[in-house]
Amino acid sequence: MIDNNENILSKDNSEDVLLRVENLSQYFKMGRQKLKAVDHVSFDIKKGEVFGLVGESGCGKTTTGRSIIKLYDITGGNVYFRDRRICAGTLDYKEAIKKAKNDCELQIDLLKDEYKNNPTSEELKDRINKLISVRDTIIAEQKTLMAEAIHDHKHGDSIYAAELVKQLDDEYLPELEALKDSNPELYKETLKKYRHERRVAKHSRFITRIQMIFQDPIASLDPRMTVREIISEGLVIKGIKDKEYIDNKVYEILETVGLVREHADRYPHEFSGGQRQRIGIARAVVMEPEMIIADEPVSALDVSIQAQVINLLNDLRKKLGLTILFIAHDLSVVKYFSDRIGVMYFGKLVELASSDELFAHPLHPYTRSLLSAIPLPDPHYEKGRIRKTYNPIAEHDYSVSQPSLREVSPNHFVYCNDEEELKYKKELGL
Amino acid sequence: MEKKLEVKNLKISFRTNNGKVQAVRNIDFDLYKGETLAIVGESGSGKSVTNRAVMGILAGNGMIESGKIIYDGKDLVRISEEDMVKLRGDKIAMIFQDPLSSLNPIMRIGKQITEAMLLKNKASRRNSKKEFNKMLEKLKINMLEVVGDDQDAIAKIDDYIKTFDAFNISALQLENEYNVANTQAQELVADVADILFENERKQKVDAVASAKKFIKKIARTHNVFLTSRYENDILNCVEAIESIISNYVSDENGLSQSIVDAFSNLKELYEKIVAEEKPNFFRIGYYKYKNPEETFEGQDVVELNAKTLAYLDDNFMKDFIEIEKKAVEHAFIKSNNAKNAAIPVLEELLAYIKSTDLSDKKALLEHCNNAYASVKACRNSLATVKDSAIYTFKSSLNAEIDKYYFAIKNNPKEEARFAKQTAKREALIAKGKTVDWKVVPKVIVDLQQQIENMAIIIEDLKTKFVAELENPVIDFEAKSVELIDYFKEKASGVVNVITRKIAREKAIKLMEEVGIPAPRIRYRQYPFEFSGGMRQRIVIAIALAADPDILICDEPTTALDVTIQAQILELINKLKKERDLSVIFITHDLGVVANMADRIAVMYAGKIVEYGTADDIFYDPRHPYTWALLSSMPDLNTNEKLESIPGTPPNMIYPPVGDAFAERNKYALEIDFEMQPPFFEISDTHKAATWLLHPDAPKVDTPKIITDRINAMKNYGGSKND
Repeated sequence: MIDNNENILSKDNSEDVLLRVENLSQYFKMGRQKLKAVDHVSFDIKKGEVFGLVGESGCGKTTTGRSIIKLYDITGGNVYFRDRRICAGTLDYKEAIKKAKNDCELQIDLLKDEYKNNPTSEELKDRINKLISVRDTIIAEQKTLMAEAIHDHKHGDSIYAAELVKQLDDEYLPELEALKDSNPELYKETLKKYRHERRVAKHSRFITRIQMIFQDPIASLDPRMTVREIISEGLVIKGIKDKEYIDNKVYEILETVGLVREHADRYPHEFSGGQRQRIGIARAVVMEPEMIIADEPVSALDVSIQAQVINLLNDLRKKLGLTILFIAHDLSVVKYFSDRIGVMYFGKLVELASSDELFAHPLHPYTRSLLSAIPLPDPHYEKGRIRKTYNPIAEHDYSVSQPSLREVSPNHFVYCNDEEELKYKKELGL
Repeated sequence: MEKKLEVKNLKISFRTNNGKVQAVRNIDFDLYKGETLAIVGESGSGKSVTNRAVMGILAGNGMIESGKIIYDGKDLVRISEEDMVKLRGDKIAMIFQDPLSSLNPIMRIGKQITEAMLLKNKASRRNSKKEFNKMLEKLKINMLEVVGDDQDAIAKIDDYIKTFDAFNISALQLENEYNVANTQAQELVADVADILFENERKQKVDAVASAKKFIKKIARTHNVFLTSRYENDILNCVEAIESIISNYVSDENGLSQSIVDAFSNLKELYEKIVAEEKPNFFRIGYYKYKNPEETFEGQDVVELNAKTLAYLDDNFMKDFIEIEKKAVEHAFIKSNNAKNAAIPVLEELLAYIKSTDLSDKKALLEHCNNAYASVKACRNSLATVKDSAIYTFKSSLNAEIDKYYFAIKNNPKEEARFAKQTAKREALIAKGKTVDWKVVPKVIVDLQQQIENMAIIIEDLKTKFVAELENPVIDFEAKSVELIDYFKEKASGVVNVITRKIAREKAIKLMEEVGIPAPRIRYRQYPFEFSGGMRQRIVIAIALAADPDILICDEPTTALDVTIQAQILELINKLKKERDLSVIFITHDLGVVANMADRIAVMYAGKIVEYGTADDIFYDPRHPYTWALLSSMPDLNTNEKLESIPGTPPNMIYPPVGDAFAERNKYALEIDFEMQPPFFEISDTHKAATWLLHPDAPKVDTPKIITDRINAMKNYGGSKND
């Protein structure tokens, strides 16, 4: 079953969509069973916005983030970054093939039975052949699509690198040709520059335009590397060999994230929790990414340090024009930090809206129960607080019509069926 | 309200390679019965260390430099490890931050909950026997001392003590028989419940075999005091079951309705039997001892209790108590005389310690030994509650003396080492080399402070003696009844057996109480089969198994997400009300405690900086650190830039001279860098340690972000409450 999620992606296909996630599925094998960690999730993130992803632990929000950055090979769906497909899964194609086989074979079997009784009928034979050819075309089509998807998923980076190299060649080679005889000194210099840039281009990977910040600053930093090594590791892998350039870059980034130059030669254990998280951010920012996936960056920190890190992320976002996918379970932080919020429950996106809209008019019962659980620093309110519980079996009746993510009011999507859609619309007064 | 726990002037440090870390610096707080005290602060502010000290589980390099933690009249800092074992987990329980690390991964949940119950039961049985005999011996000695040389009286006392011992033994036998039968009855209830439960879950149950097992067990529950009044009912039940199983056809779909009914009846009957009042074996024991032929067939427990009470009183107890009272009085007077004698000795020792230079260890120890002997004489041998101040006097004073002489030897060494290292470092720097090592700061024990500590111990004991001697009138009647009760308790402690099955039933009840669905299945599972919230519930169940007075929750919800956090908080609140617990709740998140706390202590750098009721702290915060904590937390209406606290907490190896928060505080005054602020009282319940509250301080308004929020909350809360 493929959910009808297409409508959630902006139709105008405008350029400001930076990341587009289409029917993303990530299944894990658990013995014979499949664990559907992420199940047909679709959303898109516009340039410069902060997209919050919330839900309880185990609902698949971290898996979504890790799948986007290709830490896992996704099972199904597509992820586009700047209109270039960076991840692709084969689940949907496989399912389409299976469906085609099942549907056609059922009919073919029926017809064959008929044909046995009536072996002379040319018409029946034609019909059977026609069905078989339809089936085969569908399968062939899906197979080519699948091959494309696998190709894109596997070789996306090398294609990108090849493109960059070609661009450089086009730019430099004629110039070099011209300089070769006329100005040997300039030729040497340009050649050096060209070689350096070509090396960097050859090593560059498209996926590095998305960087990740991890939850636990202690576990995500190598204890045997100095801060300088940690931060510059990405640059070195990229092929940059100029030590001075790397050092300057490290100092610059350290100052950007609120540390000082002297910290470069220290080891992670010499820092406090907040400072370690700053190092994690510096490591991500040094690659000059367009987008950052922040996987619970403040959950492991004290309240006072949390504020420092959130302020830093906010500053960086304004300064560098970053787009952020912010994954967290603390709703007040997500509300403060995000422009739009998606609520996940057991691998499904159940509600998606701008953060003000979501908190003002939560529609899905799970969102409501989440909101009712936020503790506030207000004893009087807390004493009268009634926590709502969410029980999906009691809450929904999906026996009649199947649920999907629907736009209940402009830019406010809820996972519901026809009946519930009407109910929610009524609640909003539409 | 009754004070449960008092922490006074507590100071804790850790020795590390880099010097002495002063984790907790002179804090005071009280915990009342049935209230929740929240301790809030950043990591490293000393909140966990304080509570680990209360539990007596400080890390090996930690030391309590001064102060008191008073629970139930005992100073937990000074009592011996054996006494602490009796309190830890039993009276004071703790829930830790990460549930997974406080559960054993390769042990079934059920075993982890029942483990402590079973071990404790075994130990208490052994101890009870020892204590009973010891106390009886002491009682006899005191009685003999009262009568002196009167041969008749001595013979009479001998006789009384012998009778007392003998009838207690007969009572023990009766009680043991009763307990064995009672245990069997309880286990029977558990077994029937298991079978019915398995049947409910559509598991295969062998009706005939289990019925036979039950009937066998029923035979073992026969006891005069337990089942004699229910013989007919039991017989009916057994007959009903037997008639059903004689021609029972096993069914694929589980037990037939008739046998389920019969089992349920059996279970109900035995639940009734188990819930019956326990006979008073102390009295019945005497009756039986005097009238060995008497059987107690079919007698009502209440009537029997009354009858035997009268018999015991008339024939034995009145006389016995008369003699006992004299003995108790004698012991009391003896101890008071000893106290009178001990006071001048203590005073002399105090003067010696204060005036003389203590370079001669031998002389000091001689003086001390003198005092130890006279203090030891002050023990009231017939007191049921040990006076911990007297008992721990020697060990605690000796520890301080040892520390003092160690310091005398060690301090110059430290100084020399420090000077040498500093010189070396400076020489290297002078040569123009880059030095990448630091000089380890010196660990110097303050000798004056050490002497002060010794003096405090002695003075405390002295003032205690003086206060006790001022009120010499005591109800010796009550005291002797108390002593008899002590004997009774110890005697029944000897035969109080908890078997594995009883413990299991208790554990299952506990698991139900903390909200774990299907506890009978969960009982047999391993920790990894539980989700985070469920694991935390198990940890709470283990903490509650011993029925503690005080529950310390060390960040119990930090590792959990919002919905589970709300559930666990509700659970702790519920249990607190049901069991009248006193809770200490440690957290760094002020949002969490708004719902929980009656009072809040905000800690920073090892000191309490603000202390008040929840309303005081949330609606009228006064300390800049509390402001910073409140404003660095985004709430649902925050849009402006968050007010983060700049910098990091100070290094507690070199604690700042003035207010520890001054460096990160934008409202800091000049005096904040020079002098530590005292507590300024804002109201009876509310005080804060900041110079801003001094009458001469410049007027500083509460930050706008907080006033705005408080106003918003007032409106919101008001509308909610209406």
